[in-house]
Amino acid sequence: MLRGGAAALNERRQQINELNVFPIPDGDTGDNMYMTIEAGLEAAGGTLPELASAAAKGMLMGARGNSGVILSRLFAGISKGLQGGPETADVRAFHRAMQAGVEESYKAVSEPVEGTILTVLREGVQAAGGSRDLMEYFDLLVSAMDLALTHTPEQLPVLKQAGVVDSGGAGLLAIVEGMRDALEGRAVQESSASAQTPAAPKLDLDAFTEDSVLEYGYCTEFLLRLQRAKVDLDSFDERVLSDWLAAHGESLVFFRDGSIIKTHVHTHTPGEILNHCQQYGEFLTVKIENMTLQHHENHMEKLAPKPHKAFGVVAVASGEGLVQSFREMGVDEVIEGGQTMNPSVQRFIEAFDRVAADTVFVLPNNANILLAAQQAAAVYEGSDIRVIPCKTLGEGYFALANLDTSSGDADEIVRALSAAAQEVVTGMISRAIRTTREVKKGEWAGFSGKSILASGPDAESTLLALADALDAGSHDVCLVFSGQDADPSADLSAALGARFPRTEVIVQPGGQPVYDYILVLF
Amino acid sequence: MLTLFTDTDTDINPAVAAEYGYKLISMPYSVDAKTVFPYVDFETFDAHAFYDQLRAGVLPTTSAISKERYLEYFEPEFAAGNDILYVHFSRAMTNTFDAMDQAVSELKERFPERRFEEIDTKGITTISYAIVREVGDHLKAGKSLDEVLAWAKTEVDRFAMYFFADDLKFFRRSGRVSGLAATMGTLIGIRPIIFMSAEGKMVSCGKEKGRIRAMEHLVETVRELGDDVPSYRVCIGHTDAPDIARELGNMLVEALGPLKIEYVDVNPTAGSHCGPNGVGVCFHAKHR
Repeated sequence: MLRGGAAALNERRQQINELNVFPIPDGDTGDNMYMTIEAGLEAAGGTLPELASAAAKGMLMGARGNSGVILSRLFAGISKGLQGGPETADVRAFHRAMQAGVEESYKAVSEPVEGTILTVLREGVQAAGGSRDLMEYFDLLVSAMDLALTHTPEQLPVLKQAGVVDSGGAGLLAIVEGMRDALEGRAVQESSASAQTPAAPKLDLDAFTEDSVLEYGYCTEFLLRLQRAKVDLDSFDERVLSDWLAAHGESLVFFRDGSIIKTHVHTHTPGEILNHCQQYGEFLTVKIENMTLQHHENHMEKLAPKPHKAFGVVAVASGEGLVQSFREMGVDEVIEGGQTMNPSVQRFIEAFDRVAADTVFVLPNNANILLAAQQAAAVYEGSDIRVIPCKTLGEGYFALANLDTSSGDADEIVRALSAAAQEVVTGMISRAIRTTREVKKGEWAGFSGKSILASGPDAESTLLALADALDAGSHDVCLVFSGQDADPSADLSAALGARFPRTEVIVQPGGQPVYDYILVLF
Repeated sequence: MLTLFTDTDTDINPAVAAEYGYKLISMPYSVDAKTVFPYVDFETFDAHAFYDQLRAGVLPTTSAISKERYLEYFEPEFAAGNDILYVHFSRAMTNTFDAMDQAVSELKERFPERRFEEIDTKGITTISYAIVREVGDHLKAGKSLDEVLAWAKTEVDRFAMYFFADDLKFFRRSGRVSGLAATMGTLIGIRPIIFMSAEGKMVSCGKEKGRIRAMEHLVETVRELGDDVPSYRVCIGHTDAPDIARELGNMLVEALGPLKIEYVDVNPTAGSHCGPNGVGVCFHAKHR
């Protein structure tokens, strides 16, 4: 039954995330509840009381977010209510356990608010009380919870304003419906797309800049193991601690289970909270998240929901001009990176998530980055990821210029992009950091692939020599991206133009590090 | 009497209009929320200054004119007992002609004996310029209105225009070109080739690497599709790219022999959708 509940929750997880506006619109209620119940499932087993106890313990350890913690307390209460009872519960015993669950849930919250998961739970359990069997119990529970959920916007203005019902309540209803279906023998099919454990929160760290204001504080969650060396476990009154926490933070969810204290609190000064609590014990787990960042992400996504699309593009580039060029050419996500800054697999996965297209073409644009892109493609399950083996920015640029998705055939598009990448010759100018056979330290080297083909006392003359060496005149376009330290004069363009009259010469600010110039011939 | 009208989207300037007696309907564009009516708000079009603004990042918008404005143009002619022939830019590219239709039907009720005729050039800028001049030439040569209308029925489709733009972002924004590849935006060094279809719409038909290849593509198209090209005007329109336009002109002469080439500044309203450094050629063709 619990598994059925988890599966049903998982099915609606995204919808529930989108309802989340209270207490902070951070859009993670569905994920938090699912991760909590999943932790319970992993631990569960044995007879009913054993199962309930193990599940409650698992959820306690895995509880995340307000609703997750409340959910874990509900199951802790149910477990408590079932202890010492028969191996299978009859409806009355189950109802008593549910009542204990309601009680525990309310106790976990320092200032219970109506119009939330608590109300939905309480009204559901109340209505189901007189049932004759478990089937009827769950039917009544579901319909009363459903009704209570529809009334939550009347109780909580913030919900009404946002035009939503309470997300935690909706999550709980999903679980209970799933349990009822399991009881009736109707299993919820776990869809492959949604059955995965939620990915790590998608955070754009640039959304919180040097000038941002910490509007929502930090969501601070921890499990604290009380230590005998610090407190007398028998006489320790946790209410003193919960009162202090309530005075120093908001949205407090707090409870004690034996020697473990679970706390969820929103605060602007998590350090102060942790220091204070450490005088009673040591931390088993700590999680601190900047909620302004979380809110920004969700807010931005809600403001401009990306329409689902068939094809998307992720490219790696560095330098303001190059990043902008790739964006203007239709790249959905540009990952900052390059020769000296290889993005991680995780960065690719986050980018794939944001693109959310059926098929995503990836332009790694560097030989050192190709592998990370391929690994990310291998583990990512949300989209069909196609890595185009572009080893230079020039190859990526020209491949992109040839992207035409009108055929709708991903294989054909990959072939066309890969072929385009092969047509390009890329050269780079960089200052030599050591003396080699071809170039002295401090001079400029012009190279293509691993071969140094030109050298000179300054970047510009080296560029001209490299263009000669690469036979720029046999190409139609000679595109030059100037680096962040380069200062190309109008003469450079004129000199290239005079040297290669049949070739169109374009000098663009690329802003890339490391390379004074990137020469792209196609 | 017959009064001729054309509009500024056909690239006709007041001097050329005066040659044939065309009255000019001004089609506006807006920059920074200020609406400008060509040759009403200025006397001479400073193409370089205008396209330099676009190079600097200004994205003008264009708008249709109202029924009332059409009434202001046409009513005095009907009231004076004149018929009207309006040679205009493509109906398929605008909804401004809905307002014109309303104005005309209103006027026809009041002046049922008057004729209002139109020739849709099924194009804009240089291709329209060539057709407006051809119509003017025929009338000057003494052809009747009906003869000119009959000529237009078959001949409008025999004027073709192929061009390339420097930066597709202007076209993408206006959404007026079909067939552009899915992610083509600002493609540095890649020139999409666009032509004016028989339906009077802009359609992309490929792309070339670099300006020289793009010009060669245009020359090749004129050679293949051209029909008695030397007997007609060859109009090369450009958005503040006179050097490239001349280079194309030279290439055409080299490939096809002596030609009657006319260089045309693309008007600012149409140019707002194309952006600077675009060049195109209009020529007499077997078909578009």
